[in-house]
Amino acid sequence: MKYDHSKKLSGASTDIEQLYQAVPQLANVFRIKGKIGEGTFSSVYLAIAQLRGGHEEKVALKHLIPTSHPVRIAAELQCLIIAGGQDNVMGVRYCFRKNDHVVIVMPYLEHESFLDILNSLSFEEVRDYMFNLLKALKRIHYFGIVHRDVKPSNFLYNRQMKRYALVDFGLAQGTPDTKIELLKVIQSEAQQESCAWNKPQITLGSQVSVTARAPRQLVRQPAARTANKRPCSLSQTQIKQGQKRKEGPESLHVQRSVFGERNFNVRSSASQDNSTVKLIKQPRVTDIAARKILAKKKTTSAVTNGLVKKAASSYPTNVTCDCYAKDRVCSVCLSRRQQVAPRAGTPGFRAPEVLTKFPNQTTAIDMWSAGIIFLSLLSGRYPFYKASDDLTALAQIMTIRGSRETIQAAKTFGKSILCSKDIPAQDLRMLCERLRGSKTSFDISTGDGQINLSQEPALQAEIFNISDPALQTSKKHLQYQKPSCHERDGLVIRTSEKPADLGWDKVPDEAYDLLDKLLDLNPATRITAKDALLHPFFKNIKQ
Amino acid sequence: QKTKNKLKNPFLKVEDRRRRYRPFYLQLSSFPVVNYSNPKPYSPFETERKNIIAHKQIENKQRNPANNDKGKGPVQLPAKHKKRKGYCECCLKKYDDLQIHVESEQHQNFAQSSHYQVVDDIISKFSCNFVELSTPKIKRRKCSV
Repeated sequence: MKYDHSKKLSGASTDIEQLYQAVPQLANVFRIKGKIGEGTFSSVYLAIAQLRGGHEEKVALKHLIPTSHPVRIAAELQCLIIAGGQDNVMGVRYCFRKNDHVVIVMPYLEHESFLDILNSLSFEEVRDYMFNLLKALKRIHYFGIVHRDVKPSNFLYNRQMKRYALVDFGLAQGTPDTKIELLKVIQSEAQQESCAWNKPQITLGSQVSVTARAPRQLVRQPAARTANKRPCSLSQTQIKQGQKRKEGPESLHVQRSVFGERNFNVRSSASQDNSTVKLIKQPRVTDIAARKILAKKKTTSAVTNGLVKKAASSYPTNVTCDCYAKDRVCSVCLSRRQQVAPRAGTPGFRAPEVLTKFPNQTTAIDMWSAGIIFLSLLSGRYPFYKASDDLTALAQIMTIRGSRETIQAAKTFGKSILCSKDIPAQDLRMLCERLRGSKTSFDISTGDGQINLSQEPALQAEIFNISDPALQTSKKHLQYQKPSCHERDGLVIRTSEKPADLGWDKVPDEAYDLLDKLLDLNPATRITAKDALLHPFFKNIKQ
Repeated sequence: QKTKNKLKNPFLKVEDRRRRYRPFYLQLSSFPVVNYSNPKPYSPFETERKNIIAHKQIENKQRNPANNDKGKGPVQLPAKHKKRKGYCECCLKKYDDLQIHVESEQHQNFAQSSHYQVVDDIISKFSCNFVELSTPKIKRRKCSV
């Protein structure tokens, strides 16, 4: 066991050694300095390379988890090559592979920690930030890429140089008309299903036997609770095609009806309440899988296959009950199969249609995420939403955007939401200003202002409950931060700037109007990146 | 024999309007509220004070990481080999320990197969203008194993 030794070692230096071992070619070209990022599907290292011209260059080495499917890896590269390298989208320099270990070499952009700078950004910087984020989104959406994981840590920002880069296409999916060929292969099962629903494809026959094996693959629940989940996985069919690759690249995306989809929904957030879970007999996973596949066959059954038909009819998947839109569930509705929809991404950044499992997700989900970033920037809060599961996240969205509004919008994409409480929508300006504590006589140096007391007298009692230990904490926290300065290459940026100095005392209505359009609960009417760039909020921006 | 089950307040229930899928729901002890008194930059939905304090400590640690520019890397994480659970897209298989799975015969077969042609095809189109380093390679090798 040669790994025993290294297991005992700890820290990033071990990781670096392991990376050199996994991909020995790297040692010929790079001096790896350290690990600068770690996610569910990759680790990123900073390295120095020597260029032909003679000078050195810093690069980011992204080491993909060796369980990534080659087609997914190739698709990520294709995104970087085709869409990247301009308009604030990260590009790619090179790629190394040894067996299952793939390392993508990208230009290194030194960047800020979002949390560190959030409350020292001027309003003008926020405007620039959003403009540049939208520029990147316009670019990738033009190519039919749905990023799925737009969040500050995937949008690198170099404040001093005013440089930006959207990174990480590891969760990306293609729109139906994507220009990234390999993303067509990585369509989610849900997409395929709805695709088949619209225009039945002749894909049965030989595929049936493949499908029959799928239940085995489906025996799994969300393994580790991780922020990111891959939206889908690749088909066994397709892997088989990979083995006889002679058929050429087209074959990779001609047939795509059978997938070893990772069914993240096998255990839904519903299973969280123990009292009811006991009553909900958790069907055996294989049953779910079987049902799932049969139902899928149904959708493609325009092409009739006797065998499939027979099998499908033996399972009543469509029995109705009277629980619909009522505050109850029963064994009938709970025995239906779960809907499968992509939900990759990070909880607090998922759009309502992702949270409610709408299968036909579009580039609009990235626009929602951009709206969440904007919400953080305007409110000074990050992360803004704090939820461990999808429905809690949805409840938090309703608290901001209103329960009726959310329910109304969900109807447009085929979802019924029932909420025991009626919550009014918040005025975005008031919300953000209260959370930011700006537009006031408020002065950080006095150490006691989260909100503007003069503006909100009614809240004094509620918030300044003097014995509240949370408040004590908050005071201490402010005091702790107060004297701190960020020293960056001789430039000192004070964090204790008064709101007026940073432009926060006169945030224009356009800002909140754009925020409202990004956080449109209805994905069909949500503003696109292209339109957002033309929004009056960006009038006279220096580009 | 239908088993009925009334949802307890407060709750949230989501279902497909065509009623073809299983509804999913959440019963909460209390509905979320915007907590304006959480200190900046914490989420207005952060409920646990413990978290706020814990975050603060982590943050303090991260603010003064000695230096990224040493070969050591930012933070020395204790006991690195955490078992990483996950799903292997190559083997279409769930695993409990990434390391062990990756070393398994099935995965190794895949790793050395021609499936990666699709990646290599793309790699072959890159031009590389990095210069080969001359010697440090050997050094590295020595200290690594």
